[in-house]
Amino acid sequence: MAGHEDYKEMLAAHGLGALDVEEARTLELHLRDCADCGQELDEWKATAAMLALEAAPAAPSEQLKDRIIDVVRNDVAESKSSGSTVEPSAASRRERTNVVSLPTHRKVSSGIPSWFAIAAGLVFVVLLGSLYVLWRQNKAARQDLARLAAQVQETQQQVARQREVIELVNAPGARVSQLAGTKEVPGAHGMVAYDTSGRAILMAKGLPAPPAGKAYQLWFIAGGKPLPGKVFTTDASGAGTLTDSMPSAAMNSPIFAITLEPAGGVPAPTGAIYLSSGA
Amino acid sequence: MHAEPAQTSDIDLLHAIARSEEGALTALYDRYRLILFGLLVRILNSREEAEDVLQEVFLQVWRRAADFDQERGRPFTWLVTLTRSRGIDRLRVLAARQRLTDSAALEVRAEASDAVADTLHAEQREIIARALASLPAEQRGALRLAYFEGLTQSEIAVRLGSPLGTVKTRMRAGMSTLRELLADQPQNFFGSGPG
Repeated sequence: MAGHEDYKEMLAAHGLGALDVEEARTLELHLRDCADCGQELDEWKATAAMLALEAAPAAPSEQLKDRIIDVVRNDVAESKSSGSTVEPSAASRRERTNVVSLPTHRKVSSGIPSWFAIAAGLVFVVLLGSLYVLWRQNKAARQDLARLAAQVQETQQQVARQREVIELVNAPGARVSQLAGTKEVPGAHGMVAYDTSGRAILMAKGLPAPPAGKAYQLWFIAGGKPLPGKVFTTDASGAGTLTDSMPSAAMNSPIFAITLEPAGGVPAPTGAIYLSSGA
Repeated sequence: MHAEPAQTSDIDLLHAIARSEEGALTALYDRYRLILFGLLVRILNSREEAEDVLQEVFLQVWRRAADFDQERGRPFTWLVTLTRSRGIDRLRVLAARQRLTDSAALEVRAEASDAVADTLHAEQREIIARALASLPAEQRGALRLAYFEGLTQSEIAVRLGSPLGTVKTRMRAGMSTLRELLADQPQNFFGSGPG
């Protein structure tokens, strides 16, 4: 690293703007902390500036003054509308020493900030767009997830019901009755499994969705008399399940039937029979 | 001769410009247009480019007059340094653009300046001319290459086929002599005006 005296040797050339880029950079670092060198540099700059007088004086065109006034007025309008009054103070911090940066450091012209602003604006718009797309994808993914979760829950319920049926059927003394569709729904079928404790599980398939305000009701028919069971509806595939307790009166040779009734269920059947285990 | 510029100092003009007084900017322009335009024509060899850069310079003066710190130097130095810097910037851009065309710039040089009489600064011109004339030719040459062509010491060494150390020594010696000769001039040698 160069010492103070080495930097002093560079000052005259720097005042002339003739240092190579690397030297100028290291000297500028030194100048931040060395007021003595800063003051001497100012003097060299004053000397160098006198060289301008060696150039023959020349007159610009008469219109140039008007053009400058125009540009300045536009600049006033621009800075008022864009609030770009920050520039002088930023420049002030950087060049408090009246130092006009060396040509090599001056590549950043006044046009750059506006290009930068445009580029930054574009990036912002692209980010906003990406954000929107991500939000949309996220929303769609959440909907998919909710649908899948519902399907999983439904499937789990079906599995649980089937397991219940299997357990029930495997229990000692358990029985299964097949139900067939009547002329209302010839394609429908079902089964009721029940054990000796009276626990009964119905699984029906091929039933149409009940109209609004209606539901299917299970009947236990004992000795020709229908005893009311619970009501149920079907899912989108036309399947319906139900767990119920058989009335003790129906425990011996029961007949099962499904009718379409008011949604709350009724004490005695009123609607058409859809499924039946009886002849 | 202009009567008005003699009455308002450069410093006062810069303060007024900092307060966005348009009249102060045109007064400063009137006072220095011949020097600054002459400098730019010398650097750029083109009146058109010189006008373009001079316009940039005065826009810059308009925006940054508040940054001028009179503790650190005179308005003349500030203004000339800014102008030269902008001129060299433009020269480099043009050089990069025209490198392939290899235009006969030297032939243009003689007639490009379109010199006029600058009665305001005639005395100061005379002083700098005498000071430069007193320098050895190689020192004067090095200073001119740096100032008007924007060459660094290394570039000057290559241009002249001289060792870098020699160029550095010549440049330092030339600047020191100039500084001594000009230091003999009154404090208000340039443009500070009354006070």
